[in-house]
Amino acid sequence: MSLNPLPIHTSRFGGCTLTGALSVTTHVRNTASIVHGPKGCTHHNFSLLHATGLDNETVTLPALVSTALCESDIVFGGETALLRTLESVAERDVDAIFVLSTCIVDTIGDDVAAICGREYGVPVVIVPTAGFLGGTFQNGVANALCAIAGTAEPCPVNDCVNIIGEKNLEYEVEENYAEVARLLKTLGIPVNLRFVHDITFDEIGTLGAARLNILREPALLSVGNYLKQRFGTPFIPTFPLGLAGTLSFVEAVAEVFGIDSSAAIKQERQFQEDILAGFSDLRGKDASFDPAMHDPDSMSSFSEVAEALRINMKQPGMNGVPLGPGAPVGTTGVRRMLHRWRRQLHA
Amino acid sequence: MKQIALYGKGGIGKSTTSANLSAALSGMGLDILQIGCDPKRDSTRMLMHGQFIPTVMDLVRVRGEAPITLEEVEFTGFNGVRCVEAGGPEPGVGCAGRGIIATFQLLEKFGALKGDVIVYDVLGDVVCGGFAMPMREGYAQDVYLVTSGELMSLYAANNICKAIQRLSSRTKSTCRLAGVICNAKNQPNEEELVAEFAKRVNSSLIQFIPRDRVVQLAELNRKTVIEYEPECAQAECYRTLARRVMENTHFTIPTPLEIDELESLAYSYI
Repeated sequence: MSLNPLPIHTSRFGGCTLTGALSVTTHVRNTASIVHGPKGCTHHNFSLLHATGLDNETVTLPALVSTALCESDIVFGGETALLRTLESVAERDVDAIFVLSTCIVDTIGDDVAAICGREYGVPVVIVPTAGFLGGTFQNGVANALCAIAGTAEPCPVNDCVNIIGEKNLEYEVEENYAEVARLLKTLGIPVNLRFVHDITFDEIGTLGAARLNILREPALLSVGNYLKQRFGTPFIPTFPLGLAGTLSFVEAVAEVFGIDSSAAIKQERQFQEDILAGFSDLRGKDASFDPAMHDPDSMSSFSEVAEALRINMKQPGMNGVPLGPGAPVGTTGVRRMLHRWRRQLHA
Repeated sequence: MKQIALYGKGGIGKSTTSANLSAALSGMGLDILQIGCDPKRDSTRMLMHGQFIPTVMDLVRVRGEAPITLEEVEFTGFNGVRCVEAGGPEPGVGCAGRGIIATFQLLEKFGALKGDVIVYDVLGDVVCGGFAMPMREGYAQDVYLVTSGELMSLYAANNICKAIQRLSSRTKSTCRLAGVICNAKNQPNEEELVAEFAKRVNSSLIQFIPRDRVVQLAELNRKTVIEYEPECAQAECYRTLARRVMENTHFTIPTPLEIDELESLAYSYI
């Protein structure tokens, strides 16, 4: 039993903190992530990250190092094994080392902070994880983002934004980022840092330079608040979802920067109308969405698009073609979703 | 083969009692194995004439995965009593309970758990599953509680009753409470109090061991009382205990007391 309450919605909470944290730390280039625990914890996560990379059409060999604890380390404590591993990884010309703990080392009470506090000639960042004991995948993501953010100091602010907590394991991670960057460009706002997606350790130092942080999803609220407290940066809690969501996103960003958004909104609205016009063949089709399979935000963006195209929304199991999954990020996200719907509805 | 375990509060005299019990049992012509199940590793020291023998966990620590033999962990002490110390981590690190489990697995592998009687001398409090290991299926069937009349000592004994009760409710479990040994601290009415405690937890006082300076003298001479002064009354007391342990057929599932009940019991014997 974990003393941390588990959220009950969605499979995203099914994994352990290690997987969530590693999905972040392995996206800092030329760093190593030490997983302090038995080899198996590293093996499973290596396999998962590698397989997900292949799914996303990239070959990744994540730089994971296990402290490879065996039974006698559990009996006598694993601190020596961690020290040995840190010393050996520090010799490998890496820019930083992340240290993550597993269930068993927190169960026996290894003092990971004390071992990491020594001098290794390279930054060592502790990411609070503790495997399943420490919570869920989502806790792992949030803890890793906050731990990494803790290495950056406040700095002068420029007219730019940070993208916070991209879902590095999701299939459309690049498309979703590109859509947000496109929307920002309509307002003339550049992206400062993708925190954390394929960046260098040095770039983390610029985290405080953005005027606004854009969180990938509301589950990262704690990270948004932490960054606000540390750097004074306000945040928008989610990527834009659906048609109306995209327009209000553009308005919200413009407001923070004190920009007139009317031209950008007009242009985006026209873009949305053009897309919908291209899918008029879906009019009158019967479809259904299973509320049990989707979060409420995705459901409302589905309904909005279905309504705009006059697709008949049926109750699940009532002759409609079941559609999904995946919440559409931005207007181009809606377009990709409509292509999927078309394949399903015409199948 | 009889397997017995002695449990009780830290410092109550479990190791002294265990070593003297093993010595007395060996005097009856029995083949005895005493296993110290405490990272302190001093359970068998008096049987080994003051020597701290290498522990099973010490060897595991040094050797890693390399094989260990029974000869390296089992030592013959006074009157042929075979001695093993489980050992464990330094205070404050690792997991001593897992060390006990690992030791048992190794001893099983060696086929070391044999003889007429095995005496398990276990750490004071059953703080985790590892320290309940000697009470698990296939190990000690007879559990003896060592206590004085002091409240904290009775409290620890009562807690161990809870562990025995839990374990004995399992279908295959053969672990039972076999009796209470009073290792006296020279308190007034101590024997009566401990006898009443034993009765309340559905057991009986099997032996009252009075406080006697000869125990300290024997320890300073690195011997058990049985060896140091075999003719003294205290040695006879340990021999009586040994006889009663061998003849004992009264094994029960304990009924631990609530803390209020325990306190008022202790209060009534002031």
